[in-house]
Amino acid sequence: MTTYTERQRGSQLADFVAEHAQVLSIATFFVLCLAFFGLMNDNFLTLSNLLNVVRQAAPILIVAVAMTLVIATAGIDLSVGSMVALINATAAIVIAAGVSWPLAIVLMLLMGALIGGVQGWFISYQGIPAFIVTLAGLSILRGAALFLTEGYSIPIRDAGGFFWLGRGEVLGLPVPALLAVLVAVLGFVVMRKTAYGRQVISVGSNMEAARRVGMPAKRVLASVYVVAGVACAVAAILLAARLGSGSSNAAQGFELQVIAAVVLGGTALQGGKASMLGTVLGTMTIAVIGNGLILMHISPFFTQIVTGTIILIAIWMNTRLFDRRWRWGKKKAA
Amino acid sequence: MSAAAASFSAESDVGAPAPILSLRDIHKTFGSHQALRGVNLDIRPGECLGLIGDNAAGKSTLSKVIAGTYVPDDGVIEMEGRRAHYASPLEARDLHIEMVYQDLALCNHVDVVGNLFLGRELKRGPFLDQKRMLAEAEKMLAALEIRIPRLTAKVANLSGGQRQAIAIARAASFQPKVLIMDEPTSALAVAEVEAVLELINRVKARGVAVVLITHRMQDLFRVCDRIAVMYEGTKVAERLIGDTNLQELVDLVVGKGGEA
Repeated sequence: MTTYTERQRGSQLADFVAEHAQVLSIATFFVLCLAFFGLMNDNFLTLSNLLNVVRQAAPILIVAVAMTLVIATAGIDLSVGSMVALINATAAIVIAAGVSWPLAIVLMLLMGALIGGVQGWFISYQGIPAFIVTLAGLSILRGAALFLTEGYSIPIRDAGGFFWLGRGEVLGLPVPALLAVLVAVLGFVVMRKTAYGRQVISVGSNMEAARRVGMPAKRVLASVYVVAGVACAVAAILLAARLGSGSSNAAQGFELQVIAAVVLGGTALQGGKASMLGTVLGTMTIAVIGNGLILMHISPFFTQIVTGTIILIAIWMNTRLFDRRWRWGKKKAA
Repeated sequence: MSAAAASFSAESDVGAPAPILSLRDIHKTFGSHQALRGVNLDIRPGECLGLIGDNAAGKSTLSKVIAGTYVPDDGVIEMEGRRAHYASPLEARDLHIEMVYQDLALCNHVDVVGNLFLGRELKRGPFLDQKRMLAEAEKMLAALEIRIPRLTAKVANLSGGQRQAIAIARAASFQPKVLIMDEPTSALAVAEVEAVLELINRVKARGVAVVLITHRMQDLFRVCDRIAVMYEGTKVAERLIGDTNLQELVDLVVGKGGEA
């Protein structure tokens, strides 16, 4: 007689680990980095140093949160570094021209949204690959920043409230760090709990399906670039406020750090899969490595090599070691 | 061939309920290619119509005309006795016409619940109401006796049959009067085919008119009440399932129907 048995439902833990493998792996890597640099240098694990790391990472974190949305739609935004530079320089010029700083901030946020909107329009409604559009943006926006400033750094004077944004503290915590955490939490909630987050994932996962069920797929696709533009404006303002000046040379290589942070966090370049928590951990890992190497008195020129190598190794580990089905407990005897 | 067409019109009128959807003399041309050359078709409530034919015979084009993806160049569509004009799948949905596409139109990275509510997410304030969606999704699947172990699993992790079931459940949840299914069993394992066929029978039992496009002849005899055979952009034959057999259908599909 033939007996039929049904498959038992597998371990919930195995499902959990499989679904969050990449976040777990970057979290492990982050803790290892903290432990390593903590052992190598006594000053590393002090509160003031760690707060300093978060403060310096704030602009990257803010843009990385937006970049997570962009990459979740299977897009990319290479222009973020140039956009930060242009808005950073423009902010200084506008404030130097006598515009009050709160108004200047509003104008800069609008400028970021506008630039992002133009890029988003080309990508979504005109069907030009995001890589091409934002590569052009990278060149145009940096060029515009150089043209406006003629390569000089423009000082910002007598704007105490503005400087507070970059240098101030609330309850001993640096303002940029608080802002970055706020943006990250906002990003997390939007991604996990709102219809917009669901739309972004759906468009990245299956654009045609999203369109067929009546989602405004093109508008959603364009909107993520607007979000990225606004995030760049926030980052540019924080940079200007911290340094007290605007410069066309700000944020060199910024786009690569941002993209590395997002990818390190387990967001797939093919779209559909995004992790805000991973992005935060990825950003902090890169920031910690940079800071730790400086504290170890390793040449700053060497830092870039190490950062790049570690990114390659971490992502290699992600794909080779962690991105597979996990089985817990004993293997079943055949 | 003309003999086959004539014999059908005599037999199809016997004791059948009034059609819910009628197509009359539908033409569709793509450039120089005549995809549909005057097709007449009646679809009745609570009945499964099998649409068969070789590749490029016009069954996909016809189904897309019904679903609103294509607008016919010529001809009349009547829905529940009234002339219907619709130019998109969304307008067809307003008339309670749904289609399950062959590619299923599911988002792999979204969970089962999310896919069932794709594009019409339930909200509480600004946030997704995951709890209510989960409860509704359970009801939706239970009504069709679909068993999915974990509704918060990503669709990418499910089997082909489960994915097909979710796509059908989603279409059924719009309370369709006409449901078109494009090759729902073509890529499935044996047990999964059985499950999907049973699912089609349950949808049919609700009074929905089902149009089933398939290459798997043996499925037709399990769920269909009538078969329409397409050949080179025309409907060459229509048979009640009790009046035909596999060999006749195969002959009709390959164009040897007139001699049989």
